Amino acid sequence: MSDTISLPGGNARFGSNSGQPMTRRDGVLKVTGAATFAADNHPDGMLYAVTANATISRGRVTSLNVEAAKAHPGVVEVITPANRPPLAITPEAKPYPFAFNIEVLQDDTVRYAGQEIAMVVAETLEAATEGARLLAPTYEAETARVGFDDVDSFDPDAVGVGAPPVAEKGDIDAGLAKAVNRISASYETPAQYHNAMEPHAMVAQWDGDRVTLDTPNQALVMSTGAFGAWFGIPPENVTIRSPFLGGGFGSKAIVFGGQVLTVLAAKMLGRPVKYALRRDQMYGPVGHRGATRQAFRMGMDAEGKLTALEHLTTSTTSTFEDFIEPASNASHDLYASPALSSRHKAARLDIGTPGPMRAPGEASGSAALESAIDEAALAAGLDPLEFRLRNYAETAPMSDKPYSAKALRECYAQGAEKFGWSKRPMQPRQMKDDAGRLVGWGMGTALFPAPMFQAKAKATLRADGSALVETAGADMGQGAWTALHQIAADGLGLDIAQVEFHSGHSGLPDGGIAGGSGHTATAGSALHAAGKDAIAKLTELAVNDEASPLFGAGNIGVTARDGRLHRADDPSRSESYGEILARAGVSELGGEGQGARDPSSAEEYAMFSHGAVFAEVKVDPELCQIRVSRLVGAFAAGRIINPRLAASQLYGGMIWGIGFALLEEAVHDRRSGRIMNANLAEYHVPVNADVPPMDVILVDEDDRYVNALGIKGVGEIGITGTVGAIANAIWHATGVRVRKFPIGIEALLAETSAH
Amino acid sequence: MTDTATRPAEPAIRPIRFVLNGAEREVAGVSPTTTLLDYLRGPERLTGTKEGCAEGDCGACTVLLCEHDGAGGLTRRSVNACIQFLPAMNGRAIETIEHIGRNGPTPLQTAMVENHASQCGFCTPGFVMQLHAGWLTGALTDRQSVKDAIAGNLCRCTGYGPIIEAGLEIADEPVPDTGAEDAALSARLAQLEGEGVFSYASDGHRWFSPTSVDELADTYAAHPDAVLVAGATDIGLWVTKQYRELPLLIDISHVRDLKVIEEAAGRVYFGAAITHREAREVLAGIHPDLGEMLRRFAGTQIRNAGTLGGNIANGSPIGDLPPCLIALGGRIFLRKGDDLRIVALEDFFIEYGKQDRAMGEFVAAIEVPRLADNQRFFAHKISKRFDSDISAVMAAFCLTFEASGEDVIVAEARLAFGGMAGVPKRAKAAEAKLVGRPFDADAAADAMAAMAEDFSPLTDMRASSEYRLKTAQNLLKRFQLELAGEASGRIAGMGPETLDMAPIGGAS
Repeated sequence: MSDTISLPGGNARFGSNSGQPMTRRDGVLKVTGAATFAADNHPDGMLYAVTANATISRGRVTSLNVEAAKAHPGVVEVITPANRPPLAITPEAKPYPFAFNIEVLQDDTVRYAGQEIAMVVAETLEAATEGARLLAPTYEAETARVGFDDVDSFDPDAVGVGAPPVAEKGDIDAGLAKAVNRISASYETPAQYHNAMEPHAMVAQWDGDRVTLDTPNQALVMSTGAFGAWFGIPPENVTIRSPFLGGGFGSKAIVFGGQVLTVLAAKMLGRPVKYALRRDQMYGPVGHRGATRQAFRMGMDAEGKLTALEHLTTSTTSTFEDFIEPASNASHDLYASPALSSRHKAARLDIGTPGPMRAPGEASGSAALESAIDEAALAAGLDPLEFRLRNYAETAPMSDKPYSAKALRECYAQGAEKFGWSKRPMQPRQMKDDAGRLVGWGMGTALFPAPMFQAKAKATLRADGSALVETAGADMGQGAWTALHQIAADGLGLDIAQVEFHSGHSGLPDGGIAGGSGHTATAGSALHAAGKDAIAKLTELAVNDEASPLFGAGNIGVTARDGRLHRADDPSRSESYGEILARAGVSELGGEGQGARDPSSAEEYAMFSHGAVFAEVKVDPELCQIRVSRLVGAFAAGRIINPRLAASQLYGGMIWGIGFALLEEAVHDRRSGRIMNANLAEYHVPVNADVPPMDVILVDEDDRYVNALGIKGVGEIGITGTVGAIANAIWHATGVRVRKFPIGIEALLAETSAH
Repeated sequence: MTDTATRPAEPAIRPIRFVLNGAEREVAGVSPTTTLLDYLRGPERLTGTKEGCAEGDCGACTVLLCEHDGAGGLTRRSVNACIQFLPAMNGRAIETIEHIGRNGPTPLQTAMVENHASQCGFCTPGFVMQLHAGWLTGALTDRQSVKDAIAGNLCRCTGYGPIIEAGLEIADEPVPDTGAEDAALSARLAQLEGEGVFSYASDGHRWFSPTSVDELADTYAAHPDAVLVAGATDIGLWVTKQYRELPLLIDISHVRDLKVIEEAAGRVYFGAAITHREAREVLAGIHPDLGEMLRRFAGTQIRNAGTLGGNIANGSPIGDLPPCLIALGGRIFLRKGDDLRIVALEDFFIEYGKQDRAMGEFVAAIEVPRLADNQRFFAHKISKRFDSDISAVMAAFCLTFEASGEDVIVAEARLAFGGMAGVPKRAKAAEAKLVGRPFDADAAADAMAAMAEDFSPLTDMRASSEYRLKTAQNLLKRFQLELAGEASGRIAGMGPETLDMAPIGGAS
């Protein structure tokens, strides 16, 4: 397929196959600007779409000056609720498992600031932009509700993606009653936005009843079904090309209304249409991490063991859809406690629907939990690491299941050793650097589930002994094209240079969803199995062929390596793949594979990646400017396919932790409800200068139950643990416990002036 | 004095002529406020240059700009294509990501691949162009210089470490000697730029690029309702974010006699079109705090475009430079037609959005006195994020000391702040508390208390009123502690050791 990115055989210089720290195989395309992202496409006759977005957050659009927009030279069409052609299903139909209600100009209601209220399609981007401006909407505005205190909370039916909102074990009150020390503390985390560097974009073009979509997408095949449902065509009539995603972080997993409108506009006008969001339009329609308030009660006995752990979260969601940040669930699987309670409430605000954002639930939950654990350790008079070890869970606390593997003790030990944790004074404000800055050390435990989804793959052995492997996976930057390619080559017993890898196109076997830190495990298992299947068929040919040195080895077995099959009992008797195929007169031999978890393992074990993060901060005593000055993270995440890519994901996650702890926050204007910092100048993502010296330690872990390959995920765990570690280090530096994220100099300055 | 009788005729309208990736272009019929990025990605289909923000915050659109210096030489700088207007490219050369590796990956691109310096890859072309520009201009010397070079590039995969390693790897690579080609390009660009005022128009929108200050004076006098644009780091956003109509623009970035720095009698004169990058070394020579402030002022691409004159003339209450120059006793030279007047910088800012600048009058130069031996200076920028962030408070202090009996007392105090009022402003009440006495803890405390009379700062997204006042006060305390030798460093950027992955020891 010419429109599928195919990666040529490898550059041997960069290494080969699983376990090797290969550099990414799409690296040259990326550093030369040759990697084509969705908005880079420009089919002949293409029109540009620009949306007008609501500037109020609740109410009704009372007028749009469609005439003025249409009169502007170059404007081809203005789509509003008045003329929007019908879709095959309603916007509430949710045609796939992770679907949300979508905003597709179904009525004149404004549900949040930034919601699309009209789409202008024109011959040029400038004309479309001007057309959208000329619409000059007027509104009937109602009071914006954008803060927790603006509304009453409610009890949600589910949190996250279909998880129960309440889980309880033991008696919290009894546990607290018998505790020697107790803490209760409440934390607040703000709304955060993914801000992938690539704004969402789509180029849609129809050919009869078939449509081709260039759009970044974390779940290609699943999305073909969704678009098919909205447009009343079978999924196979929808082609999605997503060779490169300029970052996703969860926001490109779920189809949003603007994409559907783009497909609709292309159909309506019979020409290709491009819709590329501006940066400010990324704050609303394409998801975010919902704000939370989290309240804890913990009790500890005389030894510092937890007698009760209660975690109550209130999460914000939109008025028209539920995505309830499952933050309390972060307390299910980490610290042993005879009494454990996690509950969720939710608050409906006039905001866009939140959605999964790198470590949904765990990031916010861990930020608060690890801070609260630090407070509990202090109350118990214990070093925070010692406290965590005393409360180490040998089985998953809420489910009582054994862990499939858990090398957290090793993470604690190796991280603490590298960091020098043993020299930490217990009391705060004990350390200063040469320049007189307050120095503090803190730690946090990192935890993230190791899920698997469903994926399929194909492997084709070719006459020349090389192979082609295919799966519709997504590389958002994490390096799927490299790690999956490595696994696939190993499945085939070939060097990666002999294996061609196709991905990023919905016409390929379903690679599942690139999310939940499960893509490498899931698509990797499918690719590996496809290779094994092809090798099994090849083995059949060989062992039944009298002319083969492997003839009759069917019961003994053969091993596949370096492009040859070897007798298991006598490796010197071997034959190349090409020779076997040639003699059989077979030009191509295909194998198929699936990736999914063994249901019995899934039932029996609790499966997680673990880690320990240690942070040092420096705080200016007069100005209270905070700098993270070093971070050490030790992570155990099963088998590491590519240590370079894995470490890079972990560094990235930890730096997201810096952003969470110190910088990132969407600020709403309380009157209009609009986000005041909907841009990259004022919504602060970490710049290089915010990043301290960092160490990532990959701790060995052999997990026999997660999947046959022992693969877990590393994409999200880095942010967990880190936020709490930084917050705890700030307390240790200053003696001030700030319970609202991001921790700003302002809160610290107000509190430290007492000192 | 220019009047209608003597004013030269309106210059003839010409197409925009420039060199793109080695080939000449002649463009007409597009709006003067078309951005370079939209032109590259649109008609040219050069989509390697990315749009991440369209306001100069992220660096994904970084391209290399070459211009002739009027003397046969060539200068190079990186800019954000998203906020450069196309007519400003007249007589310049642009190089994009597609061009630099045309003969195979450059050593930088290879180093980027081998260091795993791209992840999702969307920001990558911008980083490559930025580091490429840094390498060509000799700006990459050590680890810190590499970090400074990429301060204006965002990576959301947050893979900064490997990018720095890649940049550092090429720092020692010899820059090819392109002297002959540069001379040829310089001549070619001078020819493309043409003589006199470059005039461009489309759809009733006009653009003028004068090349001398007299031409500028005449052009502005003839079109006093024009908007002056220099580096477009502010005005670019009027278009890309606010969709403002700008029917008449005068570009001062080609005015060569506004691009000079001269010194006489202990005073430095900066032409208004001097960029922040060009000014940094000289200002750092006046005081290291000014160099540090300019390092954190904005990313390299912005400092390469934004001008001293622009930072003053736009009247922003949170511009970082004005408080520094007010503290130093800076003055500005304003020209209108053939008239020139000199205004103390602090008097230029009248109130929010209003400056002492008449219709048709423009900032021509800025005069900055060097510090005398009996003066002490301090400047510090308070922002949340270390780089590329707008200040909550910008403080700049200059104290003049004199002997008085046994004591050394403050003879003159100039305490200037940004972010504390609707304009950059001196804290006169606080200053009064310092004058005539030693600058000790008591004096600082009195002045800090008096600042509450000077300022009732705004509460906004960046900081609350209380926070701003408290920080302003504490900055004076810090200055006092520093002068008394009781405090050394300030909160600084990550040191050059960052991301060395060196073994980390325990507490000292």
